[in-house]
Amino acid sequence: MTGRRVDDGLDRGQPFQFFLDGEAIVAYPGESIAAALVAHGRNVARRTTRADVPRGYFCGMGVCWDCVMVVNGTPNVRTCRTEAAPNMKVQTQRGVGEAS
Amino acid sequence: MIDTDLAIIGAGAAGLAAATEAVEHGLTVTIADDNPRAGGQYFRQPPLPFRRNGQSWFDKEATRANALFDVLGHPKVTHIPDAVVWNLPEPNVLAVAAGDRSTRVRAGAIVVATGAHDRPVPFPGWTLPGVITAGGAQNLLKGNRMVPGRRIVVAGNGPLLFVVGASLVRAGVDVAAIVEAAPVNARLTAALPGLLAAPKLLRQAIDYRWTLLRAGVPVRTGMTAVAAHGEENVNAVSIAPIDGEGRIDRNRIERVDCDALVVGFGLTPSVELMRLIGCDLDFHPARGGWLPRRSTGFETSVPGVFAAGDGAAIGGVEIALLEGRLAALEAAVRLGRARDASVRRAALTHKLARIDRFRRAIERLFAAPCHYLDLLADDTVVCRCEEVTAGELKMRGREAWTSMVQLKSTTRLAMGRCQGRNCMATLASLVAQSMGEPIAKLAYPRTRPPARPIALGDLLHEPIAPPELPADPHLPRGQKVT
Ligand SMILES: Cc1cc2nc3c(=O)[nH]c(=O)nc-3n(C[C@H](O)[C@H](O)[C@H](O)COP(=O)(O)OP(=O)(O)OC[C@H]3O[C@@H](n4cnc5c(N)ncnc54)[C@H](O)[C@@H]3O)c2cc1C
Ligand code: FES
Repeated sequence: MTGRRVDDGLDRGQPFQFFLDGEAIVAYPGESIAAALVAHGRNVARRTTRADVPRGYFCGMGVCWDCVMVVNGTPNVRTCRTEAAPNMKVQTQRGVGEAS
Repeated sequence: MIDTDLAIIGAGAAGLAAATEAVEHGLTVTIADDNPRAGGQYFRQPPLPFRRNGQSWFDKEATRANALFDVLGHPKVTHIPDAVVWNLPEPNVLAVAAGDRSTRVRAGAIVVATGAHDRPVPFPGWTLPGVITAGGAQNLLKGNRMVPGRRIVVAGNGPLLFVVGASLVRAGVDVAAIVEAAPVNARLTAALPGLLAAPKLLRQAIDYRWTLLRAGVPVRTGMTAVAAHGEENVNAVSIAPIDGEGRIDRNRIERVDCDALVVGFGLTPSVELMRLIGCDLDFHPARGGWLPRRSTGFETSVPGVFAAGDGAAIGGVEIALLEGRLAALEAAVRLGRARDASVRRAALTHKLARIDRFRRAIERLFAAPCHYLDLLADDTVVCRCEEVTAGELKMRGREAWTSMVQLKSTTRLAMGRCQGRNCMATLASLVAQSMGEPIAKLAYPRTRPPARPIALGDLLHEPIAPPELPADPHLPRGQKVT
């Protein structure tokens, strides 16, 4: 294995594309947005309000809210708990709401 | 409104075991869980579309996992997936948000089996992307068959580090080091008799250790991560030894390169619902912090509300399975429906006592060797949501340190979206330290529903007035939480 998807005899189904700030990202059915981004080597989900520093996937179970992004125009979506979908538009979130 | 004999919150090991026991006594069961698929943490299932050559996901655990999942198909069991239990408006009624509506479940008795989350321990750099929790790493692996990096350091304290390290090695990752704070090697001889009480679990532990050894992973015990480095992503971690007095020796810092850092300092039970309905809680650091006080039948101080598994006291999967069964058995007794209660109780309690000896040995082996507040620097973020640093907290002066309620209102700490789950424990340690009081004596700020974040739209379907929501500075009014 060279990427971040483990292939232990696993069939993930048909891959599809969604978009991160306009860039095409590959995902497989059932993967969370956060996981598909991690597989892409991208750990930054948002930038904070006060210090403007990057944050990303941390708890992986919906507790910390550090993985929130703007998904199809809706801010504050926890990407670790939201499945990626074909052609979804995901944007890095700045502060409490706007896409950056 | 759904009417049921037994309502179970959480479909992990404890909840599924409780359901299995309950149907054996003829009870109807409603089990709600906030994941799309049942299993909780240990038995987490990958997404439905994933396939693996007709083999089970659970390898050696396939038989047990299948038996647990089978109960969901039982005619007396209703499984509500993707369902957040956000309130217990009465001790026998669940408010459940599922999809975009809220429903209620009225039950003869309730088993709370809500599991745990990682205990957050702040240190410099812990907010960098690429620094993730042990639970988060397990969720990526089990839930998405994915690893967070190619060269990973696993650091913190507790047995889960070895589980995560071994799982990452098996997934083909270069694990650069396991950094375990407790001097486990030095404590091993004393712990051995207790560990031998559960030979199967001991063998499993040796298996993890052997996997790491064969892969040549350096296991650095008696050391702690003191800082994570990087700009947009973690690229290295500094580690330092802890001396016999629990002091961190910053003159002997080593730097290890990595592209991900997995941190785990043990787990904390998710007791929010029990706090909400006023169950008596006691402080037991070795079992994860604040725990519901339970009878020998696992009933909390609120009659008819039982608690089992990691959501009641950290004990791991074997204890969760046995407690789930015992709690459901006692609930069946309470409802006058139990069959062969004394025989079953004796058999289950006997097994539990053996595994409890193992658990206590593990707890002694991994008891924290230093004070984690020593990891804080002035610019270390304590509250991840509101970006409140340790320095800012100290600047509030001594007078602000008299209570958590006061500190919370002057700093906004614990008022963000995580509802304090990321910072409350640190806040409590800081206040306790400055007051010279044990944490157990501190008054915690009052909690209000929802116990877990839900979509505000859910409340529109409520038959009664919606409860007061906690102030959420991030969300404009009416904004949907997803
Ligand atoms: C993230 C994480 C990963 C872990 N991975 C491992 C591992 O790989 N190996 C291991 O040995 N141990 C692991 N553990 C330890 C684990 O807690 C136990 O081994 C075991 O899963 C405990 O079972 P349980 O039934 O008590 O809790 P869990 O398995 O955690 O099940 C609790 C369930 O309740 C749900 N829930 C909680 N609150 C609500 C609510 N209000 N409404 C609806 N549903 C709710 C949760 O989402 C979860 O599905 C992990 C712990 C965590 C926190
Ligand atoms: S990673 Fe913590 S909420 Fe998503």
